[in-house]
Amino acid sequence: MRPAVLAALVLVLVALACYPAVGTGYGLRSVLQAFMWIALAGSWNLISGLTGYVSFGHVAFFGAGAYTAGILIASAGWSWPIATLAAGAAAGVLALAIGGPCLRLKGPYFAIAMLGLNEVLRALVSYFEGLTGGGNGLSMPTLDATVPIYYAMGVTALAVTFGARLIIGSRFGLRLMTIREDEVAAEAMGIPTFRHKLVAFLLSAIGPGIAGALTARDQGYIEPLSVFPLATTITMIVMTLFGGKGTVWGPVLGAVVLFVAQEMVWARYPYIHPLLFGAIIVAVVLAMPRGILGLLQLKYRLPRTV
Amino acid sequence: MNIVITPAMIGQVIISGILSGVLYSMVALGLALIFGVMRIINVAHGPLLMLGAYTTFFLYSAFGLNPYLTVPISMAVLFVAGVVLERTLVFRVVDAPELSSLLLTFGISIALVNGAQLAFTSDLRAVEYITGSWVLGPFAFSKSRVIAFVFAGFLTGGAFLFLRSTRLGKAIRATSQSREVAMVCGIDVGKIHRLTFGLASALAAAGGALISVIVAIQPEMGQIWTFKSFLVIVLGGAGNYPGALLGGMLLGLIEQLASLFLTTQLSEVVAYVLLVLVLLVRPTGLLGGRQT
Repeated sequence: MRPAVLAALVLVLVALACYPAVGTGYGLRSVLQAFMWIALAGSWNLISGLTGYVSFGHVAFFGAGAYTAGILIASAGWSWPIATLAAGAAAGVLALAIGGPCLRLKGPYFAIAMLGLNEVLRALVSYFEGLTGGGNGLSMPTLDATVPIYYAMGVTALAVTFGARLIIGSRFGLRLMTIREDEVAAEAMGIPTFRHKLVAFLLSAIGPGIAGALTARDQGYIEPLSVFPLATTITMIVMTLFGGKGTVWGPVLGAVVLFVAQEMVWARYPYIHPLLFGAIIVAVVLAMPRGILGLLQLKYRLPRTV
Repeated sequence: MNIVITPAMIGQVIISGILSGVLYSMVALGLALIFGVMRIINVAHGPLLMLGAYTTFFLYSAFGLNPYLTVPISMAVLFVAGVVLERTLVFRVVDAPELSSLLLTFGISIALVNGAQLAFTSDLRAVEYITGSWVLGPFAFSKSRVIAFVFAGFLTGGAFLFLRSTRLGKAIRATSQSREVAMVCGIDVGKIHRLTFGLASALAAAGGALISVIVAIQPEMGQIWTFKSFLVIVLGGAGNYPGALLGGMLLGLIEQLASLFLTTQLSEVVAYVLLVLVLLVRPTGLLGGRQT
């Protein structure tokens, strides 16, 4: 990384770290959500951007993390930082259990299996009312922890992005991209493709699990419909595509730009918001499937780890 | 739950399963056609069904038309809508990676659902045309479901006859077997794609029209139908058109049985586990790998 870029990056990080001292409640909440989207889009990018396996139900890990933390906090009385770590671990375990069978499925079948997983988790959460509160939701004791959660979410976003940088620059990342380009050839070259996919899937589940737990704690109340929405999966996919999938900074760029755009549209046109969202999806898919960074990479010969 | 399950209940479940199964087969046949010919999973299939249901509802409530007479009108309207969608948007992602086609059709789906919410509001609407049941011995046959069964049976049969015997139908099957060879034989593949998308939308519309007489409709009714249709074509084997018929029946029966032995909430879980199992054990569907 060039010194100028590095300096700019450090400056941004310092500014974000100091922001809670001066920011308004609304501003803080907005940046917190931007962090969440960076963590989600960056995590989706790890499995789908690198290996080409489209996870169409990635919000399942977000919801699983939210409910793990919610139950641990509300019923077992754990403190939220420990419950958050447990939620990340739980999302990882879920990824291993689901990845075992599902990562053997190819193409659209994997995508739909993941979509189904999300629906099933939602059904299960509604069904086991004793534990989860069912459709009535789950309330946690009130706690004003917005600032610590702000930092925790920021660290999560940073960790996902930094992790992606490490992976994309490593041989492991190269092997994942080989699987994306041609899985049979990757297998023939001696890459244990299934194990690689499973590790990538595991890594991609931890971030959403933690983000889900932090969001649950921040909001203090979760219900099945609010933590398993398909729209969240689609949003993280579109953010990653918009910025450039398979790149380090693409998800960050996409998350920030689209989140800001969404906030501005939200405030002004709440009624047609989903309609515009649909139009944005169609436009991104048709006009810029490689994303902003993908286009820049084609044009200016940027390093692979941009 | 401690409910004693009698043979009559099992019989009733099988009847209900078959009655709704044919409806599933018909709607899923549309999805199967699009997947077979264009290799696209059309996430907007369910929302197109919803538009068909609203077409019937408005023709019924505004002009007092017999809802069953509106079935062909709904089909025609959605045929045109399907052709327009294919012509303007969907054809662009035919050869793209599956992520593009999934997202594009999902974008269309959001736009359709939200557009319907704005235009028709989210209120539940019902076509109250025919209610009650015919009772035959220990079994009850819901009138609207029996009529839907007959319609769906004829339309599905007609679609198969079309695919089997007409030149266009054969061209569709040829394109789904091999696009290149179809082109070499002088088939206008672009036209076949449009026709297929239109036809699939018309089948979805027929489903929507028939459903609107059975249950109340609302803009978000469609999404579950996309998932169910996908399940049907996985059960039957993707791109295997007779398989869709079998898959629909199976799904109807499984759902009814699951709701008898488990709660309705868990029947979704059963369907999902079934989906993953079938994909793992028999990825070509229960009828095997035969295409078309």
